[in-house]
Formats: sequence, C-alpha cells, structure tokens
Amino acid sequence: MASIAVKFYSLWRQYLGVDSVPLQADNLDEALAEVEERFGPRLREQLRADGAQVDGKIQDYSLILLNGTSLRNLKQTSLKEGDTLQIFPPATGG
Amino acid sequence: MGGKEIIQDIAESAEIYVAPDGKKYSVISLKAVTSIAQTKGWVAREVEIAALKQGITPWRYLRNTGTIGLDGQIKLLQSAVAVVGAGGLGGTIIELLARQGIGHIIIIDNDRFAEQNLNRQLMSTEKNLGDYKATVAAKRVKDINSAVTVTTFLKKLTKENAHRLLKDAKVVADGLDNLPSRFAVEEACRDLRIPFVHGTIAGFSGQLTTIFPQDAGLSCIYGSSDSLPEQGIEVKIGNPSATPAMIAAWQVQEIVKIITGIGKPLRNHLLMLDAMEGIADNIELSRY
Repeated sequence: MASIAVKFYSLWRQYLGVDSVPLQADNLDEALAEVEERFGPRLREQLRADGAQVDGKIQDYSLILLNGTSLRNLKQTSLKEGDTLQIFPPATGG
Repeated sequence: MGGKEIIQDIAESAEIYVAPDGKKYSVISLKAVTSIAQTKGWVAREVEIAALKQGITPWRYLRNTGTIGLDGQIKLLQSAVAVVGAGGLGGTIIELLARQGIGHIIIIDNDRFAEQNLNRQLMSTEKNLGDYKATVAAKRVKDINSAVTVTTFLKKLTKENAHRLLKDAKVVADGLDNLPSRFAVEEACRDLRIPFVHGTIAGFSGQLTTIFPQDAGLSCIYGSSDSLPEQGIEVKIGNPSATPAMIAAWQVQEIVKIITGIGKPLRNHLLMLDAMEGIADNIELSRY
C-alpha cells in the first residue's frame, strides 16, 4: 500500500471543510473509491443545498490530477509513496 | 517628415516633474503628443516611443515606469496582444491592456451584450445591450488610450480560423467561456510559438496559468480535448461581479511580464485563487 495525499481545492474545499487528507491505496481505482466513500455524499449534499444537482461519483464531475496531470491522460493506475491527488471543480467560465 | 525634427519637437514639449520625494522626471503631456503626431503625420504611439527613447515619459505612463522602466513601456507599445472573448475576463483584460499601453490590441468575439452580462462584464452598460462586445470594447480602448491600435474580429474563434486571427499577436489572452475553444487557441498558439495566458472562473474562485509552446498546458488540467467536461460548475453557481476582475488582473500581469521580460511568468503552474476562503494555491503541472 502506498501512502498518498488527497488535496481538495476551491469550492470542493469549502464544501467539504477539508484541505488535505492522507490515504492508503495500491492503485487509482482504490484511491478514488475511498475518496468517493468518504467525501462523495457530503459533496453532493452541499451542492444540492446550493441548488446544483450533480450525478455520479466525485470523479465524474470533478477535475482530478495525479501529481499535476489529469487522470484522463494516464494509462497506468498504480500509485507510489508520496503521490498526490488534486481534486477540484471544473471551472470554465470567463 | 524627418525623425530628427520630431525628436526636437518632443524635447521642446517636455516638462520637468518633481515628485514628492524630490526625484525629477522629464515628462510630456497627452496634448503635446497628440499635437506633434497630428502636425508631423505620425501616429501617437510612435511619438510616445520616440519620447521614451529620449528618456521622456508620457504623463499617462508615469505610474507604469516605476515597475517596468522606460524600456519596458517601449516594449509594450511595440507589442500586439490578442484577447479572445470580450466578456467577463476579456473586458477587464482589454481595459487594463489599454491603460498599460499595449500598442496593438486584437479583440475576437462574435457575441452581443445581454442583461445577464451586466453584473460582471466591465464593458457592458444598460445603453449598449444588444451591441457587439468587440465593437464596444474597441471604442472603450480608443476612449482610454487613442495611441493604441485596435483590430476587431466579430467572429467566433475556431480551429479553422485560429491561426489567421492570432498570427500577429505576441501574447494571447484567454477571455473565453468554454473549453473546446480554449483548446483550439492553445493548439494555434503552440503552432505559432505564441505564449497563451489561460484563465477561468467559477463562483468566488478562479485559476490561471501561462502556457509557452513547450510547456505543460490545458490537457494537464482538463484531459485531452476529446474527453473534456461538458460544462463547468459556474453554470450552476454563476460568476459574481468581482471574480472576473480578480483573474483578469493576474492575466494582465502575466502579459506584462512576458512582454517586458520582468518577473517570472506562471509557467507550468496553475494558480488557483479562492476568494471565499482567502487562499491561493499553486499546483505544479507536469507533462505526462
């Protein structure tokens, strides 16, 4: 198991009241499942309270980076000691 | 008309300004610049550049030069910046570029002002609802700084026209409101070897990064262009009045740094400003 850090930013940090949490996981799927279990329901509840309905799991409506690059680009799913997952809402406005 | 004669006219029109700390500055007024330009058949910007080269600062740039110097101001006046989108981010970027003294501003936007823009889009007013944003912004630039050349394209930027619209720019600023267009701009900027200053906003937060052609870019943040999130959280939570100004101001600082060579642009880093919590985060981006 690798010890990794999960960091929340922007609105997700506000909603969850969490800046950074440690997590133990062997691979990305495990890490994301843990993140969803611990934070998904609370995040969706907060969003709903603000009138924003979102569906799916955290990874379905968030931007998630592993050490500064989007998970969407990554083929490998293993994690190593000291990795950081960065999670925040997609902001596209201008 | 010879340059020598203009240089003499500029020198004769210069005044000495003594700052409160006793430091003396040689300055020239807007009226004098305009008069010399009209009399000699030069554009005002060229007169300003000629003055700065002699160590004479146009009054309007006096508060700029303490940070960027006379050489920095000359570089800005000699540069073209393209702003893609003239809404929340873009409108503020354009306003600040005009005041900073960017020589040529290229404005690309095919949209018109609507009532829901009034809360945050600097150029929108009750009187210009229905008008093209780019046209309104161009007039505003000329009202602020008549020495600036403005080119407007009342077009939506696409992958097909991006290279043509952006090719004259030294830097491109992101005032867009969707990711596919941003990816089209980034791709064109990489091809054209132009730095791209990306910014986005949602709610009380926003983020920006500067992307040089060889840098980590949008795909590090959003994934590849064929797997983009359909819409941002701002669709649900909106954009309050001050958020665009917060990010646009940073974007303009990036542009000034890139052109003048002063400071350190936010390359390969995503700066996230969270006004609700009063927190600034800086995520290092890495190419995969």
